[in-house]
Amino acid sequence: MRRKDLISHLINEISNYVLESDPMRMVISLHQEEDGLHLSIMDDAPHSDEEIEQMVKDLNSQKRPELAGYYGSMTGRDLLGASRLNLLGWQVKHTDVNRIDKGIKIDFWLGGDRFDSKQFTIPEKE
Amino acid sequence: MKEDRLLFIFFPALIAAFIVTALVIEGGAAFTGFLRLQLQPARLINDFFMTAGIAAALMNSAAVGLVGFIIITATKTRLSGPTFAAIFTMMGFGLFGKTPLNILPIIAGVFLASRYALKTFKEYIIIALFGTALGPLVSAIAFELGLPAVFAIPAGIAGGLVAGFFLPALAVSILNLHQGYNLYNMGMTCGFFSLFAAALIKAGGHQLAADSYWYSEPSSFLPFVIPVISALMIIIGLLSGPGKSLRSFVKIQSKDGRLPSDFIDMTSAAGAFINSGMIGIIGSAYILMIGGDFNGPIIGGLLTIMGFAAFGTHLKNSWPVVAGVITAALIFRMPLTSPGVQLAAIFCTTLSPIAGQFGILPGLIAGFLHMLMVSQTGSWQGAMNLYNNGFSGGLTAAFIVAVVQWYRSNRKDNKFK
Repeated sequence: MRRKDLISHLINEISNYVLESDPMRMVISLHQEEDGLHLSIMDDAPHSDEEIEQMVKDLNSQKRPELAGYYGSMTGRDLLGASRLNLLGWQVKHTDVNRIDKGIKIDFWLGGDRFDSKQFTIPEKE
Repeated sequence: MKEDRLLFIFFPALIAAFIVTALVIEGGAAFTGFLRLQLQPARLINDFFMTAGIAAALMNSAAVGLVGFIIITATKTRLSGPTFAAIFTMMGFGLFGKTPLNILPIIAGVFLASRYALKTFKEYIIIALFGTALGPLVSAIAFELGLPAVFAIPAGIAGGLVAGFFLPALAVSILNLHQGYNLYNMGMTCGFFSLFAAALIKAGGHQLAADSYWYSEPSSFLPFVIPVISALMIIIGLLSGPGKSLRSFVKIQSKDGRLPSDFIDMTSAAGAFINSGMIGIIGSAYILMIGGDFNGPIIGGLLTIMGFAAFGTHLKNSWPVVAGVITAALIFRMPLTSPGVQLAAIFCTTLSPIAGQFGILPGLIAGFLHMLMVSQTGSWQGAMNLYNNGFSGGLTAAFIVAVVQWYRSNRKDNKFK
């Protein structure tokens, strides 16, 4: 899949999720590098602690190449049912979900094998 | 992990149990029967219990399951919902269509596709394992077209390689057509491919005979195969921690089941074992109740839905679809014990996610439409795609998804004020 297509499908899936909360504002920010990218989504809708906990779990799930390579192709294309964050979680390097002013900010980092997280602000692993 | 260990012990034990049973039934003759079986046609419906004997069929089922297990292990793929379903499905269809000889070329074809697409084979492993539904295509080219003996098997292998090579491209597109509401996506994919293969074979002046071999001898042993496996799975599930496993089982019933719903990942292996056992017992009870046959296709079908009980099917989302199939059969006066209706009542659970996501009525409608479609699709694809119900289920799911999507997107509450 071309990088452009991958990015648009990721944005489609995550914005589908965010829009389910019916926010009045949603901001999408993208920063690309040669070997990776940082995608950030912000909204102003209320989210419970349980929801955020589940989001973090789904988005940072164990990497499943056998599922990502096949079922991951549905990411951002299937808008009929509820959005599925695990489809995204299988494909990204790391995700953070943080509370901001009124809503939340979701940060994704994606990259190839040469991905250098230092070019971005990906948190160091403890 | 403890759960991974449970699965890595369970499958070799199941495969070994099939081999031991085959040897107890017929001794060494089971092995010679198994070798003979490799060289015979395998298109639907070819019940190996009838054409090769029960022992040879069990031996073949074990060998096909072993191929799947070795590939999963060799690629270090996690044994979880989809791979659990794949091994059960491969073993099930090892009783009526798949043989090690006819599935390996397809797996090799998918491997070549992964190289071509610059992906690891692991990324396509699910396609490779379920893509073995096209095994009968390999057997048909090798043993049914009347090719000279020296060319027959190489031609069959070449056909399998070509089929396997194109499966990933088709599988991904077709997945998006029904949006994950048909669990046997490779059934629709292989059915789609078979339409072209059957057209090519017919254009070459060959006619594929519509023979059907269905074992219907009464047996005091066969009706107990699935209930015994199911009961053991329930016991294993409960022994893994009664409270946790039962909670997981209950939690599974709340899932919609849409692809990819890995129940082992979402809950626990123990919960999935109980779900699988329950599906096996209720499926067997249904066949017993209607006076159906416990033969290769039925036992294979029950094994398949037990596998998918870890990957999308559960009691709550499957009953409306089965009820839809039974309703259609009764309305159109199709005997519930006819082979096609028995198989449809089992394999229609491919449409469980429709009931899981949209409710009981759409589930009933899906089952009803599926019963009408599945009686036609087998002849369309030359009976070379073993997952004929997956083909029909995919068409039904695509139809329902399109209608629901159109209805929802044109509701008044979707418009701006």
